[in-house]
Amino acid sequence: MIIKRFIILPAFIFLLVSIAGGANAASPRQAILDEFSAQARQADQNFKNFSAKRGQELFLSKHSGGKKATPGCTTCHTKSPLNVGKTRAGKAIDPMAVSRTPTRYTDAKKVAKWFRRNCKSVLGRECTAKEKGDYITFMISQ
Amino acid sequence: MSILKIQTEFLNVRVWDLPTRAFHWSLVLSVTAALLTGFISPEWWMPVHVWAGYLIVMLIVFRLIWGFFGSEYSRISSFVYSVRDTLKHLRGLLILRPGHYMGHNPLGALMIFVLFTTLVVISATGLVVLGGEENLGPLAGIIHYDFGFLTKTWHLYFSLFLMALVVFHVAGVIFESWAGQENLVKPMINGNKQIAINSPLPEPRKSRPVQAAAVFALIILPVAGTLAFLHKLPPTGIINMVENKTYLSECGDCHEPYHPSLLPTASWQAIMSGLENHFGEDASLDKGTNTDISRFLNKYASEAWETEAAARLRHTSVTNPLRITRSPYWLKKHGEIADEIFKSKYIQSRSNCQACHMDAAQGDFHDANIRINKGPSK
Repeated sequence: MIIKRFIILPAFIFLLVSIAGGANAASPRQAILDEFSAQARQADQNFKNFSAKRGQELFLSKHSGGKKATPGCTTCHTKSPLNVGKTRAGKAIDPMAVSRTPTRYTDAKKVAKWFRRNCKSVLGRECTAKEKGDYITFMISQ
Repeated sequence: MSILKIQTEFLNVRVWDLPTRAFHWSLVLSVTAALLTGFISPEWWMPVHVWAGYLIVMLIVFRLIWGFFGSEYSRISSFVYSVRDTLKHLRGLLILRPGHYMGHNPLGALMIFVLFTTLVVISATGLVVLGGEENLGPLAGIIHYDFGFLTKTWHLYFSLFLMALVVFHVAGVIFESWAGQENLVKPMINGNKQIAINSPLPEPRKSRPVQAAAVFALIILPVAGTLAFLHKLPPTGIINMVENKTYLSECGDCHEPYHPSLLPTASWQAIMSGLENHFGEDASLDKGTNTDISRFLNKYASEAWETEAAARLRHTSVTNPLRITRSPYWLKKHGEIADEIFKSKYIQSRSNCQACHMDAAQGDFHDANIRINKGPSK
């Protein structure tokens, strides 16, 4: 019963947010953020909003849980999200900032794939919904 | 007896007409170009090598025709000698008293026939190698990779034999010039030999250039037409691959999407089932995407192709069968390239085939399409 409630409640909230969002919900990027927001609230009832500042911190910090070769997002994406990055194999990565690459964070499957891979490489674990939302919020602000 | 008097006793005779001399030195240049581009120059000079070969064939065809329509000493019939004559000349040479000939002497004539045969064999095997191994030229649609590969050995052996012949030819000219007290090189430049004024000479036959040109056209045109037609046949061993967009975008996000023909099925399968640790990176895919890409790679893996790249890279490294850049053939072909070049700005890594192989995406890897990438041209 408890488990069921944990699924139904966030889903319900998500539905409400989606409807309330109206125009926003039509934007796939907002839909992705809303989904993370719902998940974050599920994990922590006190969660209010995503923060670009926390996202920036996450982006710029050096982490220790992951692979030695990739201690931070900046290893590949450079210190500014406005810059073109470089994959480990040497290929160019379009800037992460939405202002530079407007298609960023609009494909839920892609977002899931890259958070899954890169959080594991950099942090050694999955990112929380809050971290993902903060990150995207930071990138939108750039 | 004054020097002047000696000179008046000699007569200039035109032995090598202009077409024969032009032929001789053109052959020298094109054989030199073919040998240099075959043995020394980087791979991307291959088109020069191929065109040198075509030129050699055309020169030989011309010379054979000129052997019937040229002036006296250009005619083949003027330098066909019996075995006895040849041995007699050889004996004379060995006792340092070689007989003098206005045209080709018997050993020179023998050299011509052996050289021509060798050049024809080299050109023919070259065309087979080009069609089989490189999938280029008029025989690409007929000759299979394996046959081209085998023929390459003979192309090499006959080229080595050719070099030996060239050495013999030059040494022979030098030796005879010395032993016979007669400069044999000069007539091949100015066309004339000097002869004592009362020496018996055959009635010289005149050249017939119009007939020669007509026969040349009659032979060259149909042959060129046939070759041009064969050129249009689709090359053997290249299959029609339907591109897979998922492969291009998923794998192409991080590195160049390698042509599936560059690894055998076993390697692709191992790669696709180990994406969580893909050369040290997490490149995991969801199940549907993985299946889609795996199916594509299995279908078009190297076993399905008979191109040079597929046939060679199929033999992967024993210890590291997943890395194309560890296969014996890859290492052999890239061994001379310095590490700094791979790490340079416009190449970045050994895994960036496209940086220098401009046709890497199609899996062709033709020699002519290699450029060591030094950035955009100014």
